[in-house]
Amino acid sequence: MNDFSEIENELRKLRPAQPSPILFERIEEAMAENCRASVSDARPVAKWRWRFTETPYKIGFAVAGAAVLLLLARINTSQNQQGDGKEMAQVSPAHETAPLRSSAKESTSSDKFLPAGATRLVYNTRNEGLQFARSSGQPLRQLRYQTRETWQWRNPTTGASLRVSYPSEEVVLIPVSGQ
Amino acid sequence: MQNLASHEDWKSCFSEVAPGLLLFARQWVQSAADAEDIVQEAFVKFWRRNHKIDNRALLYSAVRSIALDFIRRDSRRARREASAISETDEFIEPQFEFEDDTQRALAEAIDVLPCEQREVVVMKIWNELTFAEIAGVLGVSQNTAASRYRYALAALRNTLQPR
Repeated sequence: MNDFSEIENELRKLRPAQPSPILFERIEEAMAENCRASVSDARPVAKWRWRFTETPYKIGFAVAGAAVLLLLARINTSQNQQGDGKEMAQVSPAHETAPLRSSAKESTSSDKFLPAGATRLVYNTRNEGLQFARSSGQPLRQLRYQTRETWQWRNPTTGASLRVSYPSEEVVLIPVSGQ
Repeated sequence: MQNLASHEDWKSCFSEVAPGLLLFARQWVQSAADAEDIVQEAFVKFWRRNHKIDNRALLYSAVRSIALDFIRRDSRRARREASAISETDEFIEPQFEFEDDTQRALAEAIDVLPCEQREVVVMKIWNELTFAEIAGVLGVSQNTAASRYRYALAALRNTLQPR
């Protein structure tokens, strides 16, 4: 077995060249830059959080608008039900997205769908605390309702039924008056 | 175990490991400036990932992988530089601080070692990595790392023996 201790000692005496002093400065700068980058990376999160706190209003208005439209649609359907034709909807493969009432008027009796039921199940209500709207100084209590709405139609001639079910969320702002 | 990120004086950590790291990086690049670029990138990466300074094998792996990326990316420039240096016999920054002619001869002998042997010697002698750590950096077995080391020492000893 060879003994390399002598050559190892010689090698250890040999000192590697030292790094330039500029390298230390450059590393320090790179580290500082890195810290700055991580701080700026964190900013969009904060911004996003701020936006998120703003969105309930928007969601609330959108859901409230959708609820109003649904209510109007419901009133219309009930009026139709009481009227002569009692037509609600029509399933037409060619025009699936066509307005229900206009297509219903043109339809024949065999493809008439009549409203068979509508349910709105509130499965969660959350009190999200007080909110302060920009326009008024009065505090508003924000309540969030999570619901599932189901609409059903039936064709009495063919026996076919159509059922639409979707989750919905409604945000209600109730003015709080101090007494 | 010291954590590099939480260590207040990273400079003292770096001054301990920097000469060995630079020497390690120099086997892939001609210029000291390029080696410093590689070491800087590796060290900052290491620091950013909050690794422990004792985990030197990981630091060497980072230097190795960045150096290999560097030569892949910059191979054309490196070839141009190498040919320019060989044509003009330009001064190349020394990798060691010599005290006498024996040391100069030893340094030259290290330079002509095959790369796979040289890197093992650099990690073992000037960075005091174990064969297990070296094997981890290179992705070889400990026996392979040890035998490369022995071949390298034998070659160096033969070079320095008076004829």
